[in-house]
Amino acid sequence: MNILDIRNLTIEIDGDNGPIRLVDKLSLQIAEGEIHTLVGESGSGKSLLAKAILGFINPRWRVTADRLWWRHYDLLALNPEQRRVVTGRDMAMIFQNPGSYLDPNASIGAQLQECIPSGDLKGLYLRRRADRKTRAERLLHRVGIKDHDAVMQAYPFELSDGVAQKVSIAMAIAHNPKLLIADEPTTAMEPQTRSQIYRLLSKLNASQGMSVLMITQDLTAIMPETKRISMVYCGQLMEVGTPQQLLEQPLHPYTEAMLSMSLANHNTPVKTRLPTLGGSIPTMANLPIGCRLGPRCQHARRACIDTPRLRKLKQHQFACHYPLIEVKNYD
Amino acid sequence: MTEPLLQIQQVSKSYYHKTGWFRGRRTLALEPISFALQAGETLAIMGETGSGKSTLAKIIAGVEVPSSGQVLLRGEVLEPHNYRQRCKHIRMIFQDSLRSLNLQTSIGQQLLEPLRFNTALDPQEQQQKVIATLRQVGLLPEHFNFYPHMLSSGQQQRVCIARAIILEPQIIVADEAFVALDPSIRAQIINLILDLQEDMGISFIFISHSAEIVKHVADKILIMHHGKLVEFGTTEALLSNPQQQLTKLLLGVE
Ligand SMILES: Nc1ncnc2c1ncn2[C@@H]1O[C@H](COP(=O)(O)OP(=O)(O)OP(=O)(O)O)[C@@H](O)[C@H]1O
Ligand SMILES: Nc1ncnc2c1ncn2[C@@H]1O[C@H](COP(=O)(O)OP(=O)(O)OP(=O)(O)O)[C@@H](O)[C@H]1O
Ligand SMILES: [Mg+2]
Ligand SMILES: [Mg+2]
Repeated sequence: MNILDIRNLTIEIDGDNGPIRLVDKLSLQIAEGEIHTLVGESGSGKSLLAKAILGFINPRWRVTADRLWWRHYDLLALNPEQRRVVTGRDMAMIFQNPGSYLDPNASIGAQLQECIPSGDLKGLYLRRRADRKTRAERLLHRVGIKDHDAVMQAYPFELSDGVAQKVSIAMAIAHNPKLLIADEPTTAMEPQTRSQIYRLLSKLNASQGMSVLMITQDLTAIMPETKRISMVYCGQLMEVGTPQQLLEQPLHPYTEAMLSMSLANHNTPVKTRLPTLGGSIPTMANLPIGCRLGPRCQHARRACIDTPRLRKLKQHQFACHYPLIEVKNYD
Repeated sequence: MTEPLLQIQQVSKSYYHKTGWFRGRRTLALEPISFALQAGETLAIMGETGSGKSTLAKIIAGVEVPSSGQVLLRGEVLEPHNYRQRCKHIRMIFQDSLRSLNLQTSIGQQLLEPLRFNTALDPQEQQQKVIATLRQVGLLPEHFNFYPHMLSSGQQQRVCIARAIILEPQIIVADEAFVALDPSIRAQIINLILDLQEDMGISFIFISHSAEIVKHVADKILIMHHGKLVEFGTTEALLSNPQQQLTKLLLGVE
């Protein structure tokens, strides 16, 4: 069962010469309890998609979709107030620059305690206050902050960036969300701390069935428990599959290019130039028609000016006219 | 033996935070630390979160005033907060790119500003320089008129990199400048920095958690732990003969 079902989500804004499609017919399904990773180059629309799910989109932008369902709620049919209630209760997001999303005027302790739902607390006034504080401390321990007193008293500008990321993870899991959207949550952490956070998230996934949508740019540094990966480029979906399918037998040239660029895979001698993908991601005002990868793709041919349909080969989906290996019997 | 480009002498930093009328809390973010860097060298700073890496980088760049000690550039003491003296020589790229950009002005204007104040280029040359720099960091001339909020995080980070290299400084200090970059752009920026070093002998100091990047570009590595320098040496030395358990962990060597 899919708890999040997005079909052909499009985000348009008005440009100088007509509408601009920032996100072009993206589809994404997340099953209950699934850990899903969204991968794509910088500027490909990952954060926009995440914000569109939560409804944090500029109201002047047009968000349309054939389907945008969360459990049994049709999110596009709800009014903004109802939608806030549903997403606020069921979802949580870790933003990409946590420092800029923390309130600079309030202490970490105050902000964290505010995230703990009142319904969970026990007893009367004083007991409840104490309970709230203990829960906040426990949350900090879970994300690996031992010195909880100093952090609770601190203001955001006093935190190092890694600690700020840990605090925003603690805030996001405070109300036991059913879906956690994590936008590059561990970039300021060294590998050991990162795996500690990954372990925490997969534990919550196993014990509470929390689904996770992890957003990252590096295909080779994904969370180990990832069930499926979606590759996006420039607002379009390129390929969807299990880590094994994408890492071992990618069908889309974009996935292959991303893999070959990864530092873990390169073997150029030190201090020499690294391979890069030629060209750069176009600005939204100058998009190529059809498959947006076209101008940068080595395999591009005439047909690529028509947007390729998302095709399916068992659980492996791809949107390309010329997949890397001959594919038969897809639908 | 030539004089080092940059000397850090007994630099330390503690933060004092008032918690009440008479009480306060003191955090020693950086214990006295000394090292030197030659022109054209690349230094990587590694360590766990909260170990004082950003504090050290900010002191080198003159954004933060040290509690004690001094920073010398070619044997000359750098006065903290003397931006005219510094900004031509040392430029910093901050960890949180969105907070270090001016949200009210366009990308192009933000890049023109340092050129206007520090170079003798005429307006047309300034414009060309900005566009060339945008291209160098993998952005497009069209981005000239964009505002920061219209860019993704990785694109904002590249604007910060452009702002740092546009004056062709002698030292670039980069705090986690690679994290919001995808592999392709990251490779492009690393190539750019290698080129700048080759052409102009720029020194590069960077904080990174990625052992792969550090191994690829660093000449020397500095390992920090709880505000202390615990190991410092050439990349080969630290890779072949690490003294500390932490060094082994961070560099991923057995
Ligand atoms: N207000 C806007 N006007 C025009 N273009 C915009 C606006 N906001 C975002 N964009 C464009 O939308 C694209 C996608 O942005 P988004 O922040 O979703 O990227 P991302 O995939 O999260 O990248 P990163 O990994 O760098 O964070 C970018 O190319 C950006 O320039
Ligand atoms: N303005 C400030 N006021 C008070 N304490 C501060 C301030 N800035 C930093 N600190 C403290 O100094 C210590 C070192 O912080 P610093 O930002 O240098 O760490 P870091 O090594 O860069 O960590 P990270 O990898 O998480 O960015 C931390 O304990 C932090 O809480
Ligand atoms: Mg983003
Ligand atoms: Mg830091």
